[in-house]
Amino acid sequence: MGKRLFILLSNRVFFLLLLFVIVVLIMSLISPYFFDLNNMITMTRFGAALALIGLGQSLVILGGGAGIDLSVGSMISLSGVIFGLMVGVGINDWIAAVITIFIGGILGSLNGITVALLGLPPLIGTLGTMYAYGALALVITKGVPLSGFSESFSFLANGKVLGIPTQILLIVIPVFVILLIMMTKTNFGRSIYLVGVNEVAAQFSGIQVKRVRFILYTISGLLAGMGAIIMSSWFMASRPDVGNGMEMRAITVAVLGGINIFGGVGNLVGTMLAVFIVTMIASGLQLANINTIWQLAILGFILLGAVALNQVFVKKQI
Amino acid sequence: MSIKNNIKRYIPKPSRREIFTIILLITEIIIFSIISPNFITFNNLETVLRNSTDLAVVSIGMTMVMVLGGIDISVGSALGVVAIFVGWMLQAQINPFLIGFVAIITGVFIGLINGILVTRARIPAIIATLGTSNILRALIFGMLGGRWLTGLPRDFGLFTKGHLLGIPIPVILLGISYFIFWIFLTFTTTGRHIYAVGNSAEATKLSGVNSDKTMMVAFALLGSLVGFSALIYVGRLASVEITVGIDLPISAIAATVIGGTSVKGGKGSVIGTLAGVLFIAIMKNGIVLLGIPSLWERAVVGLLIVISVMVDIFIGNRSERKQRELLSKQRLQTS
Repeated sequence: MGKRLFILLSNRVFFLLLLFVIVVLIMSLISPYFFDLNNMITMTRFGAALALIGLGQSLVILGGGAGIDLSVGSMISLSGVIFGLMVGVGINDWIAAVITIFIGGILGSLNGITVALLGLPPLIGTLGTMYAYGALALVITKGVPLSGFSESFSFLANGKVLGIPTQILLIVIPVFVILLIMMTKTNFGRSIYLVGVNEVAAQFSGIQVKRVRFILYTISGLLAGMGAIIMSSWFMASRPDVGNGMEMRAITVAVLGGINIFGGVGNLVGTMLAVFIVTMIASGLQLANINTIWQLAILGFILLGAVALNQVFVKKQI
Repeated sequence: MSIKNNIKRYIPKPSRREIFTIILLITEIIIFSIISPNFITFNNLETVLRNSTDLAVVSIGMTMVMVLGGIDISVGSALGVVAIFVGWMLQAQINPFLIGFVAIITGVFIGLINGILVTRARIPAIIATLGTSNILRALIFGMLGGRWLTGLPRDFGLFTKGHLLGIPIPVILLGISYFIFWIFLTFTTTGRHIYAVGNSAEATKLSGVNSDKTMMVAFALLGSLVGFSALIYVGRLASVEITVGIDLPISAIAATVIGGTSVKGGKGSVIGTLAGVLFIAIMKNGIVLLGIPSLWERAVVGLLIVISVMVDIFIGNRSERKQRELLSKQRLQTS
């Protein structure tokens, strides 16, 4: 019995589902308004941007080589600000949105160049761009939010399609499905795992390690660009500080989701579940009128607990 | 004679990387003094030092942990928590020496928690300290309850304001602390173990060094330095705001890396770190003197980090290539 429970618990998806049930139970006890399907579906709205950059972060970490992307928050801020500027000079919101996603991709590819191609340690390379992008966003706007988007643009983050928040149905779910297919069904997806597990072996089997990692950082940027659009629509303004601290949350959901920080192990389903749990906690606390700052502490404890548990399982399995 | 020789051999020569940082620092000073006449005044230089004393002290500890191949993101929040304790004790008019003692002990305690998470629970340092950083940051909000601590007594003001024999206290303070830790890292067994473990934890373990213990010592020392910096912080500002120390971890990591400590561990020195701290502090000051909006500050620092590490890698690649060429030549000769 003990052994069977252990095997079940070491399955990350099962572990997260269990955690999810526990969170829902606790939250329902704290707030009577929490346990309501409609409410829960609406809540997913809060996690849209986090889901996107969390997936990006997971991919970068999976690619190994101490991969990490600290600049995701700043990329959201900067591409959001550029979006605001484009709308400001009269470009149509939706066209500007598409361009913004590409700009996110360019920002990400700059990380790819410094980290994957030139060989900077990811922690330092993306720390540098985190500073640089974040400061640029502030410099461009002088710290003042840009606004003036058309009313219809609000629909993206505040509207619903078939009872499901627009950004979840039209952006997050499709992106997730595409990435999942990429990871499980394509050569590129399999090569990410191989690069993450054993870089040298990957090199010998003809995989261009640098190219794979470059693409991963670029994808992370593209996803941040999408996140920027969602945040802009959400606030109906481009705030230069909107992404502050989001990099930490992105890393937290990736690690909580079971992505091994050393790369090569984990899957995106775990990340999505982790986003779901984190979002539940955040909005549950809000419903219960508990200061959101305690989210940070709870997130910290969950993060430490999840990784520590992970290490125990890894050790036992060996 | 042999002992003397041995000691001489023991002192690591400043690496090319450190010399590079120092040259960078001197160039920076020359450029700023040409551009701005206000730069090279005694008052301005003293201000630069005064404002970066806490960063400089924390960076010593960051260097040790990073030489070990670790990292600590929680230093900013840890400093905040200790600073609030210090503020409360100052308000209660407790003996300053006791306050200092409690501050350092609290710092060590936080450092030990990080150390335990890294060595016992085997959580990678970046994740462990990210977690504690989040928890401590929430604690700061809880402790302050949304209000700032202001108008605190200036018992610790002399750390940054005072003079001794005409020399500003920050100069003395930094001189002494950097000297002590230079000695510690270069001449003591534990200090040498830090480099050894950073180079290869596996090899050092096999040769009988307790690498976990070394890691704990480094985190505890970093904690004590963070506690001490909290005293300096409170002395300098006489207040604790809600965003206390939010930039500290990143600045300390930047200073350490610009100063030549390798992110992969095993390489680095406090001398390089001091040069890195001064480089960043002077850059920030120069940006203000030149009238550039301070919003640019972070962009400049960010670029500097990237450039300095790129240079590091470039130099590293070249010296590696040279070594390989030398080896192959030797092989040719012997065959």
